[in-house]
Amino acid sequence: MNDLIPLMVIVPIIAAILLNLFIKYNTTIKILSFLVAIVLPIIPILSNYGLHYFGGHAPLMDNGTLLNSLPSYISDGPLSTFHIGITYSFESLQKILIFFLFVVGFLCIFTTIGERKRTPGSYMFLMLMGLAAVTAMLLSDDIFHMYIFFEIAVVAQVGIILASTDNQRYEIAMKYMILGSIGGPILLTGIGFLLGLVGSVNITDIVYVVRNGLVNANSPVFLFSFGLIFFGWLYSVGLPPFHTIKSAVYSKAVPSGSALLQALSVVIFISLGIAIFRIYSSVPFIGVFIIFFSLCGMILSLTMAIMENDFKRMIGFLAVGELGYIGLGFGLGTKLSLTAALFQGLNEMIITATLFIGFGVVLYMTKTSDITKLGGLIEKNPKIAIIVLLGGFAMAGVPPLNGFQSKLMLVQSALSDNFPELAVIMILISIVTFMTFIKAFHSVYLKPKPKNLVIENSDVPRSSVLVMVVLIAICIVLGVVPTLVTDGFSGFVGGLI
Amino acid sequence: MDLYTMICDSIRGFKSNIRKDPITNQNVSSAMAAELTIVSTVLTAAIMLRHLNVVLTILIVLGLVLYLITGMPLISKFKREQSDSLNKMMFYMILTLGILVTSIYWGFKP
Amino acid sequence: MIDTQLAALLSSGSFIIIGLYAAVFIDNIIKKIIGLSFIEEGANMFLIALAYRTDGVVPIFLPGMTPEWFASNSAYPLPHALVLTSIVIGASTLAVMLAIAMVLYRKHGSLSASVILGDKHE
Repeated sequence: MNDLIPLMVIVPIIAAILLNLFIKYNTTIKILSFLVAIVLPIIPILSNYGLHYFGGHAPLMDNGTLLNSLPSYISDGPLSTFHIGITYSFESLQKILIFFLFVVGFLCIFTTIGERKRTPGSYMFLMLMGLAAVTAMLLSDDIFHMYIFFEIAVVAQVGIILASTDNQRYEIAMKYMILGSIGGPILLTGIGFLLGLVGSVNITDIVYVVRNGLVNANSPVFLFSFGLIFFGWLYSVGLPPFHTIKSAVYSKAVPSGSALLQALSVVIFISLGIAIFRIYSSVPFIGVFIIFFSLCGMILSLTMAIMENDFKRMIGFLAVGELGYIGLGFGLGTKLSLTAALFQGLNEMIITATLFIGFGVVLYMTKTSDITKLGGLIEKNPKIAIIVLLGGFAMAGVPPLNGFQSKLMLVQSALSDNFPELAVIMILISIVTFMTFIKAFHSVYLKPKPKNLVIENSDVPRSSVLVMVVLIAICIVLGVVPTLVTDGFSGFVGGLI
Repeated sequence: MDLYTMICDSIRGFKSNIRKDPITNQNVSSAMAAELTIVSTVLTAAIMLRHLNVVLTILIVLGLVLYLITGMPLISKFKREQSDSLNKMMFYMILTLGILVTSIYWGFKP
Repeated sequence: MIDTQLAALLSSGSFIIIGLYAAVFIDNIIKKIIGLSFIEEGANMFLIALAYRTDGVVPIFLPGMTPEWFASNSAYPLPHALVLTSIVIGASTLAVMLAIAMVLYRKHGSLSASVILGDKHE
C-alpha cells in the first residue's frame, strides 16, 4: 500500500496539532499521545516500498499517452525524466530507520508520560513535530524539501530544550539559533546554486543530469555549491566546529528529550549525508573532506568528554563523537563501509537513548548531574546500574552487543580499503569511549556515597525502567542477529553506488 | 634538556593547569588520557598522508612529533578554545566556512 | 542599461556579507538578529534572482502564445514557489529568536551578547 507513505509524516503532524488543541485536558493528552506513539511504528512496517508523487505528478516517462503527444525534443530529452512535484521515496533504508526512529520516539514519549504527573501537551507537540520533520527528511527525494523540514526540526529541537528546567537553557537555545541562522541560509544558498545549474531540486534529477554529463561536474558553480552544502551539513549534524553547541544542546534538555534530540540528529546526518554522497560522488577528494571532519569530530569530542564533570554534557560529547564513525563510513565510500555506517547510525540512536534515559534516572533521583557530587547509587537500584553498564558496553563495542557488530564492520571496511590507520584510530577512540563511560559509571554508582548527597525521589518511575529494558533488548537482538537490518541496508547501498 | 625530562616535566605541569577540585587525581588522570588520545590519534591520522606523498608524510609526522611534545599540556588549550562562548563558536565557524569554500573553489579549479 | 539580474545577484551577495558582519561583530542581540535575517533574505533573493529573465513574461500560458515562444520567454516559476516556503520558515525562526531574546533580557537586564552568551559554565 503506497498510500501509507505520506501518512508517516501526516499522522504525527495532525496528532501534534490535536495535542496542542487539547492542552487543558491532561488525560486526553496522555491517551492520545500514547495511542499515536504506538500507531506510528506500525505504519512503516505495513507500508510497501515505492515512490509517492505529491499531487500525482509522475515523471513524463511514466505517462505514455502524454509523452507521445509531446514534441520529440521534450520526449527524448532529459526533461521527460524530471520529477515535477515533491517525491517521497520509501526503500529498505527508510523502512528500517523510520521504524526504529518511531520506536525511540514512542519510548521517549512513554518515559515523559511516566515521569511527569501532568503531561505537557506543548512538549508532546514539539516531540511529534520533530519526529514528523525528520521522517520527511528521510523520505524526501528533494533537497530543498529536506532543507525546509530541517529548519522545522531545528525549531522543534529548540522548543524541546526550552521545555527543560535547566538554568542555562535560554542561553544555549539562543546560541544554537544564532549559529543555525548562519548555517541554514548557507545551506539554502548552496541549494540555490544547484537549482541554478540544474533547474531542479530533485536529487534523482540532479544525479541523472550530472552522471550524463549535461552539466559540467568540474565547474566552479558545482564545486561552490558542494562547499556550501557541505558546510550546512556540518552544522546540521554537529561535526566540528559545531560539536560544542550540539553537545550543549543535548545536555540542556530533559533526558528523555535529549534521547529524542540525538535520534533526530542521527537521522538528519544520514539523510543529508546520503543526499550529498549521491549528488557529489564525482567531486574529487569528497571522501577526504568527510573523513577529515569526522576524525576531528571524534577526537575533539572524545577528549572533551573525558575532561567533563557533568554527566549530561559527557554523554552529549560522546553522542557527537560517535557520529564521527558514521562519517568515516561515508567517507570511505565502499559498499561495506556505507552499510556499516548506516548500521552504526541505527545503533547509536538506540544506545545513546539508553544512556540518556539511564542517567536521566539518576538526575530524577538526585536532581544533580555533577559527577563529583554523586556516588554509591548502586545500593539504591542495582538493576538500573546493570542496564546502564550494558548500554555503555554497547557504545564501546563489546560483543555480543550491536555496537560491536557495526564497529567491527567499519574496521573491516577500513582495512580492506587500505586505510589501516583509520582502523587503529577507530579502535583507540572506542577504548577512550569506554574509559569515559567507566569514569562516569564509577563516579555515579561505585564510588562511596558522599555524605551531603540527598536522594529526593527514591521511587524510580517504572516506565523508565521498562523503556531501558526494551532498548537494551533491541541492542542485544541487533547484536546477535545483525542481518535483520544489515541485509536491508546493503540492499539500499547496492542501489546507491 | 633531553626529551624524556621534557615529557616528565610537562606531565608534572598538568596539576597546575587543571582546576583545583576536591578529587583532583581523577581530573589529572582524565586530562592525561585526553592528552595521550590527542597525540596518538593525530599522529596516526597524519600517517594517512602516505597516500599522497611518502616523503611529505615523514616530514609532517616528524614535525608533528616535535610540536606535540614541546607544546605538551595541549588539553588545557583545547579546552579553553572549545568553551561555550558564542564569540569563540562564531570565530571557528567563520574560519571553517572560509577555509572550506576557498579550498574547494580554488583548490579544484581545472 | 543595468542588468537587473546581475544587480539582484550582487545585492543578494551584499545582503549576506552585511548580515554576516552584523552577526559576528555587533554585540547587541537584537541587532545580531537583524543581521541574521539579512543573511536569510540574501539567500532568498539569490533564489529569486535565478528565476529572472530579461524581458520575460509571467509563467502563465495564455491563448495566442506558441509553445516555443513561451518556452524561451517565460520566467522560471519553481524558485518563486520555493522562496515562499523559505520565507515562512525564516519568519518562524525569527519569531522564536526574538522571543528568546525577550526572555534573556528579562533574565539578565541586558542585551549585550558578550554578557549574556559568554562562557559562564566554568
